[in-house]
This record gives sequence, structure tokens and C-alpha cells, in this order.
Amino acid sequence: MSTQEAKNRLELLQGTLDLLILRTLIFGSQHGQGIARAIQETSEEELLVEHGALYPALQRLEERGWISAKWGTSSNNRKARFYSLTPAGRKQLVKETTKWKRLAAAIGRILGSEVEGG
Amino acid sequence: MFRRKREVKDFNAEIEAHIQLESERLRGQGLSEGEARAAARRAFGSATRAKERFYESRRWLWWDHLWQDIRYGLRMLAKSPGFAAVAILTLALGIGANTAIFSLIDAVMLRSLPVESPSQLVLLRWSARNSPNIHGYMSAGDCPSDLGMRHNGANAAAKPSGCSFSEPMFQEIAEANVFSGTAAFANSGRLNLTGNGPASVISGQLVSGDFFRTMGLKAAIGRLIDAADDKASAAAVSVLNYGYWQSAFGGSRDVVGRTIELNNVPFTIIGVAEQRFTGIAPGSDYDVWLPLSDGQRIGNSGPFRWNDRQADVSFWWLTIVGRLKPGTPQAQAQAKVSGLFRNEMLHGAVPLFRGGGPAGVAGPRAGGPGGGPVGREMVFGGAPPPGGGQAPRSLSAAPQPPPGQGGMQVQREAPGSPRPQSPENQRTIVAGPPGAAAPGGAHPSEMPSEPKTLSTAADNPEVTLVSAQGGLTGARTRYADPLYVLMLAVGIILLIACANVAGLMLARAAARQKEMAVRLALGAGRARIVRQLMTESVMLSVLGGALGILFAYWGAHAILSFVSSNQPRPLGFATGLDLRVLGFTVAVSLLTGILFGIAPTFRSARVDLTPVLKEGEGSSTRSGRPGGKWFSIGNGLVVAQVALAIVVLVGAGLLVRTLDNLRSVDVGFDSHNILVFGIDPSLIGYKAGQIDSFYRDLQGRLSETPGVKSASYSMMPLLSNGLMVTSFHWPGMPQDQEYEADTLGVGPNFFETLHIPFLAGRGFNSSDFELSAANGGATPTSAPTPVIVNQAFVEKYAGKDKPIGKLFGQSEGNANGPASAGYEIIGVVRDTKYNSLRREIHPMMYTPQSAGGASFELRTAADPQAILPAIREVVAQVNTNLPLFNVTTESEQIDRLLFQERLVARLAGFFGLLALVLASIGLYGLLSYEVAQRTREIGIRMALGAEPGGVLKLVLRQGIVLAIAGAAAGMCVALGVMRYLSSMLYDIHTNDPLTMIAVAVLLALVALAACYIPARRATRVDPLVALRYE
Repeated sequence: MSTQEAKNRLELLQGTLDLLILRTLIFGSQHGQGIARAIQETSEEELLVEHGALYPALQRLEERGWISAKWGTSSNNRKARFYSLTPAGRKQLVKETTKWKRLAAAIGRILGSEVEGG
Repeated sequence: MFRRKREVKDFNAEIEAHIQLESERLRGQGLSEGEARAAARRAFGSATRAKERFYESRRWLWWDHLWQDIRYGLRMLAKSPGFAAVAILTLALGIGANTAIFSLIDAVMLRSLPVESPSQLVLLRWSARNSPNIHGYMSAGDCPSDLGMRHNGANAAAKPSGCSFSEPMFQEIAEANVFSGTAAFANSGRLNLTGNGPASVISGQLVSGDFFRTMGLKAAIGRLIDAADDKASAAAVSVLNYGYWQSAFGGSRDVVGRTIELNNVPFTIIGVAEQRFTGIAPGSDYDVWLPLSDGQRIGNSGPFRWNDRQADVSFWWLTIVGRLKPGTPQAQAQAKVSGLFRNEMLHGAVPLFRGGGPAGVAGPRAGGPGGGPVGREMVFGGAPPPGGGQAPRSLSAAPQPPPGQGGMQVQREAPGSPRPQSPENQRTIVAGPPGAAAPGGAHPSEMPSEPKTLSTAADNPEVTLVSAQGGLTGARTRYADPLYVLMLAVGIILLIACANVAGLMLARAAARQKEMAVRLALGAGRARIVRQLMTESVMLSVLGGALGILFAYWGAHAILSFVSSNQPRPLGFATGLDLRVLGFTVAVSLLTGILFGIAPTFRSARVDLTPVLKEGEGSSTRSGRPGGKWFSIGNGLVVAQVALAIVVLVGAGLLVRTLDNLRSVDVGFDSHNILVFGIDPSLIGYKAGQIDSFYRDLQGRLSETPGVKSASYSMMPLLSNGLMVTSFHWPGMPQDQEYEADTLGVGPNFFETLHIPFLAGRGFNSSDFELSAANGGATPTSAPTPVIVNQAFVEKYAGKDKPIGKLFGQSEGNANGPASAGYEIIGVVRDTKYNSLRREIHPMMYTPQSAGGASFELRTAADPQAILPAIREVVAQVNTNLPLFNVTTESEQIDRLLFQERLVARLAGFFGLLALVLASIGLYGLLSYEVAQRTREIGIRMALGAEPGGVLKLVLRQGIVLAIAGAAAGMCVALGVMRYLSSMLYDIHTNDPLTMIAVAVLLALVALAACYIPARRATRVDPLVALRYE
């Protein structure tokens, strides 16, 4: 898995995968592979999502009641498990997004000044 | 919200779908099918890891592991069936013994009262700083009473208390509406039943109208006594006990409406109480229940007088139980009841004396109205009119203080059998013969002159409410000590079993070291290994527990049937495996598993991988450092087992020797071939003079019956647990000083029949009996009552004076009683035991028996039981309505007196042997294991020229050293704890050297045998085989 391509990508920070999944699902239900693609494409191929790590995360979110899942048929007529956001998940997404933005802004402020100073 | 668990299959399908979708996308970008699939897999990462993470997230993982552990454990046990069998059997014995004894404790001590919502029921208990000024006090033994009277110079109790109240007090409390139901009850005494086949004597309880409603009981058939029945104007009715209904009436439903006669009074049977209810107090078992208001009817025809006790505030005879109203706190109810009681005690009018006799007291003499002795007077359950009124000061039937307890109790009838004469049921005292419920007149010895109230403010009389469950002790107290001792013994046995199995597990753990090391090396967590091993040990103990329940079931039944075979009627206790017992067993099993599993487990989990994996199977290097191994866990466990076994063995030895000592006690008379039975014409209305001639007539007929060598009668038989004590004044001593002697009224030829030799003087002749009857009657003569005393009496009182002709006990009439001419000693006989084998011989006086119920003693030529039919025939010739009761022999009575000792000695002996066997199995197991481990070492030694004898010694030495260390430790512990047994011992000291030595020798022999087998095996080691072993 350690292809050259993969090495250049950013590894996900701990805990951010859940947030990205929830965010991706805001546009409607999606299966696992679709979520993985969406994250990669939306981040302009900057983020590395190991597909295998996605599924335990989906399982976890499902158990917490933030997303729900059912088997369906994909656009190219394949059976796949589709996930969609629950109202609780939507609430969680808002909460986590706010938190993440504040964190990112704070870190950005610190790092920004350091770079200028340096 | 409960979500169904997702299947692993479903998860795998999803992953497969993902790979499909991804590879299709990649193919869309132009990759070949093979490349696309490979790339999709690459992007996915480790599918196994994803699956693992999914699996671990499942909530039931824990159970999966447990199930795995159990399956694995079962496989391991199946692989070594010998180990499994020994371990499970050992645990089953330990757990089974505990369950058996606990089920007895549960039945006797813990089971809830057989009524509705027993937790709401409270028992009223009074207490005061000084004894109240009352004339009569009766307690059926349902709850301990202590009137605080001085007895034999013992100090009065710090605070008198009890559970009996007067009937006016009960009415006042019932009317105050403090409780949602208020019930009062008292023993009805012995009832002579006719109207249902041959006449018989049964036991009954008087209950207030609200009794059954308060208890929340239902009728099996018919109806129960209600408030309307408990009125003087109401018809006499009775309710039958379910068991009695089954046995005496064959469970016929026609009994409702039938009439039976109790003490010659017709009673209509109105119903049968529900099956579970045999009496409110633990262990009590009454045949019938009668309304309180009928007490007078049956009482007046019996040998004791009822004396308007219904209206008498100074005659306390009712036990009161109330049901708390929902929402009323106990403290509030208590304050209210206590207020009523205090008011009555401090301000109620007390009718002290009436016409020279004690007011309202059923005098202890049946025959003689009026002129009853006052002062200290107490009659026990059914007290016989003790010898008529010869007692110048008073007669008091004092209870024998229960062994090991200082306190004294007034009258305590056996709850189990309210018939006062049945010895088995009376641990404390008892009672005399006929006329069971005779009231006891109790009077404080330091009675202030002419008290106007029952108590003073300074005495602070009060009532506390105690839970009926805890307060109504009934027969419980009698069994408490032996049960706790046995529980302790089986607890120790369980510890031995644990140590034993722990030793086995250790040996196994050592053998499994390699397995553990491999598992650790393959990445098993140490916690997981500990869990696996704990599962195995708990599994063993649970299997042991299951088998143990079976053992317990047999054991408890065997014990109960032994108990029942020594009781005149079945015990009111039922054992069974109820939830509490099962819960106990489960808890004990789990705890046991953890206890014996813990040491070996941690040892296994701490395995140092490298050396173990490198080593061959039977490692010989470990035995290479013999110096350090004396302190191994295995040795420690064996020492502990031996020590614990010694403790149990010493206890068992002491109890067995106590039984031996009691068996060989010299009772002072010839107890062989004596038939004993009670017969009481006063129950069916015979009066004093008629009673005396009845007995004399029957005595004559019985003596002439073939097979009977000699016949006599006495107020009660010797060694029947009944005891009466008289207090008197000794001439030349201060007037207020009182002395006491055991007293027994006897008929003509008593001493000849029992083979009690005369040392001086003569026996009673007919004029002595006439004099005694007259003195006990309405018009006492001025001549002293003749008495015969024992050696102890002469030693204590007469001193160097010539005893014959000595006069004592005269008194001038005073507030406490009328004048009396006292007693004159006309003979001296050899000392005999009176009520029990344990009680030491006290000064005793025999009086000519007159005017009360009595028991016959027949000296027979052969087996006493064989002539019983002939005896019944003779009695029937005199009166067909007079049943014999308490038919037994003196030897049987002695057996029954010793029944508790026999039971305890037998069980303790059994448990002692069990402990010994378990400890020697432990010793044997350890040595066998060590010999097996040291096979190579022994082989080398033998190859180098060691003699078999030397090898034998090598192994034996270790075993013997361990046994000695254990024995020494055990002796020290035994010396420390045996004093708790002292109240159960007789004529033996708690550190009796003979017992200690016997136990030590026994242990040494068994230990030697246990060591010899493995030692012999060691000498047979073939050096060639041993060296090739690895």
C-alpha cells in the first residue's frame, strides 16, 4: 500500500475520519466506496483514506446511531450497503464541524505567526 | 434502543462489494481487470485487519471468549480425567458439606415466618430497670424472657425484659388502633382430647380473635377463628393444624362441624389452617388453635386455675404481635405502644393480694385453694402443683440456666411441643408434668412492701417493637450453637478442599508451563491466559458445586431423619433447597473456584518464556535447588491443609469425648428396664383427693401386672429435662436469706423402684402422704411435711448435724404468705441426677407426691416396651378416657437428652475424618507430583549408588516435615479457638492433652501412609529409564 502516490498524501488526523464521513453523507446516501472516493476527490487527492479503515469507522458511527445503513443497488447495478445521515448524525456533524473550525483556526493563527516570524 | 447485531458475513459482503465497485471504477480508467482488482485491494489495505476490528467491536465478544474458554477447559479436563475426578469430588464434598449445614441453618435460623409479609410484623418486648410487681408470668418460650430474679445467688439481670403482657394491656393496645392488626397468643397447655377414637393428649395454642387475620393466613378448609369467636359468650370452636388433621383425622373434609372434647369441654371444629402454618414461632407445632376466650373453659377443668387472668393486670401471659400500618413508621407505633405500657405500669391500680392468697395467681398448687405461698413463686409450664402447699416460703420452679449462658429465664415451654413434659423440647427448663399451661406466679425477690403500681418512674418501663422475624426465636436458640460450630467445621473443610485442589492445579500448571509459554509466544495476552485458567478453575468448582448439591440433599435428609427419630413428634422445621440455599451454594462455588484458582493462575501467567521453551518436557533442572523449595506454594498448601485438619480433628475429638463422658455419667439410679409414661386425671376433672387415690390404685394394679417388678410414680420422671426448685428458710439464718433445693414429689416405693439406696432414715409411709396432702390442701396442719433429701443436701445444709429429724423451712405468716410448719428430714438417699446429665447434682429434697399429674416409673423384668400393651389394658380398666403420654424408657430418655450431643459428635467426627482424608490426599498428591518431577534426579542418585532406603527417606522426610509443621501450626490454632467450644463440652478441658496426643498420633499414621506410597514409587525408579526419560 505504500505506493509513491500514497506517500505524498496527508495521513488523516486522529478522529477526523468520522467527521469527513458525516460531512460526505450530507449530500445524500452513499455506499462505502463512494464515500472513500468522495473524500479523496473533494480533498483534491490530498488526503489518504485507507479504504479498509473506513468500514470499522462506518460500523462505529452506525452503532452510535449517527448514520443508518441498508443494502441497495449502486448506479452501475451492483449490490452495495448504502449509508445515510440520521437526524442525530446531522446534529453531531454541526457540533463537530464547529469544533473543528475553531481548532483549525486556532492552530492556523499560531502556525501563521511563527512562519512570518521565521 | 436494541439493534440486532450485524453478522460477520454481512460485513464481509460489504467489503467484497467495495472491492468490486473500486475495481470497476479503475477499469473505467483503463486498467486491465487483473490490475484493477490488485489496485483496489491495495487501496483497501488489510481486509483482515478491518474484519478483526469489526469483530472486536461486537458487544458479545466477551461471551465468545468465555464460550471458547469453557470449551477449551472441558477439553483439558477430559484430557486428564483423573485430575478432574479428584478435584470435582473434593470440591463436591467441601461444597456439599457446607450446603447441607447451611440448609439446616437456613431452615432453623433464617427462614421467614410462615405468614403473609412477615416483615411488617413486630413483636412487643417490654423492659424496665427493675422487675415489675407482677404475680404471674408465663412465656411459651417464643422469645427469651428475663425477669431479673436472683437465682442461686447469681446476680439479677441488668435489665429485666420479656415478651409477655397482661390481657388488659393487650386489649388496650388492640383498641388503640396502633397496628393494622394486633394478635395475642399463649400456650393452652396439655389438652386431653376425646371424641376422636382413643383419648389422646395434644398441644394447643390460645389465639386472640384477630390472630389469623393479622398473620394473613387462610383456611385449608372451613374457616379460621375470627373476632366473633373470641368472646366469652361465643360457642367453643377450634381450628386444626393441617398436619394434625392429616394424621389424626385422615384429612377428611367432614371434620368441619364435628365436635371434639378438650379437657372435657366440647369444641366444634370450624376449619383447618393452611398447610405451611404450624405455629408462629420457628419450630413450633401446635395441633389445635382455640380462641383466647376459651382458655378459661379448658383451664378451669385442668390442674391449674384460671383465676380471672383475663382481667388481671399483674398476670402476664400473652405474647403480642402487631402488623404495622402501611405508612406508619415503626418508631411512631413504638412510641404510642410504649406510652400505653408506661401509663399502665406507673398509674394502673394493682390488686396485690386477695384474701391472703396471691391475687390472680394461679397458685402452684392445684388442689389447695387459697393460702398459696407467695414470695418467689414460679411455676413452669404446666407446673405441677408442687407437692401441695408445704412450702412455707414458696415453691419455685426455676429454670436451669442454659449451658454457657448466665442469664436465667422464667418458664420456657418448648415451642416445638408445648407439652411441658417432653424433654427434647426443653433446653432450658421445664416443666412439669401435667396441666401444661399452668401459670407461673413470678415475684421479684426484692419486692418493695405494698407497692401500689406495677412499676415506678425510676424503673423506666418501656416497650420496644422488634421485628417478629428476629424476636420470635422459638426453638432457634436451642440449635444455634451446634449449628454454628458445625458451620465452622464445614467452612474449614471447604478451605482444606480449596487448598487441596489448588495444590493439584499448581502441579498441573507446572506441567502446562510449556503450553502457556507457547500461547504467550504466539501473542496471547496475559490477561487472556489468566482468564482461561480462572474459567477452568471456576468450571471445576461449579461442577463440584452441582455434585455437592446432591451430597447436601442426602446429607440434610440424613441429619433431619436422625433428629426426628429422637423427637417424640416431627420437628417444625422443614429443610429444602430453596433459593437462599442455592444462592449460597452458587456463591460458595464461585468463591471457591476463584480462591483455589488464583495462585496457580498467576504463577502460570508469569512464565518466563525462554527457559521453558528451551527445556524438555520433564524438566529436571528445577529440582536442582532443594534448599529454596521448602517455601514453595505447594508445600505451604499442604501445611495449611494439615493444620486445618488438625483443628477440625481436635474439635471433633473433644465433642466425641464429651459424649463419652456424658454417657458414662453416674445417674445415681439404675436406668435399665424402666418404662416411663405420663398420665393425668386432673385434665378430665379429677380433684385432689380423687387424684391421689387414682394414682395409688393404678400403682397397685400395675405392680401386679406380669412382667412388672415394681411400680411407682413421681411428679415427673428423672432425666426428663423437667426441674423444680423450692426456696426455703434455713433455721438459724437471717430471715430474709433464702436457700434452694431441687424438689421432686414422689409416690410410694419410688426409691425401691429406681434402685436409689437409702443411706439413713426411712421411706415415705401412708401417713406421710396423708400429712403432705393435708398440708397442701385448704387446711394445712401444724406438723412439718416429711421429706427425704440427698447427700448433697446433707453436705450443704445439715453440716455435721445429724440430718434425720432436722426441721427447716418454717415461716410465720407474713405479707408473702401464710405460716408454714416447714419440713422434716426423715431419710437420706444417694445423689442422683435430676433433670439433665450435664447439670451437676444440687441439694435435693423429695416430697410425698400429692394432688397433681404424675408420671409412672415401672421396673420391668425384660424389655420395657414389650409389656406396653398390657399396661395400656390395665389403665383402660380404670378409665378409658385417660391416655398415656410421653411413653418412653429411662434409657431412651437418656438417649434423647444426649441427642444433640450425639448428633454433633457424629457429624463432627465425620467432618474430622473428611478433613483428615482430604489433607492426606493433598500430601499424597504433592509428594507424587514431586517424585514424578524428580524422576531424573532420583535416577542419577541411584545410578551413582544411592540405596533404595536412602531414596525412601529422602521422600518420606519431606512428607513428615510438612505433616509435623502443619500439625504444630494446627495445634496452636486449635488451642486458640477451642475455647469457643467450651459451652458444648462436658468434663473435659478445651486443651485436653489426651485428645491432642490422640489426634497427633492419628495424623502422623495417616500422613506416613500418604507419604509411603509415592516414596515407594521413588525407590522403584529405574536409573536407565530415568536418564533416557528426556
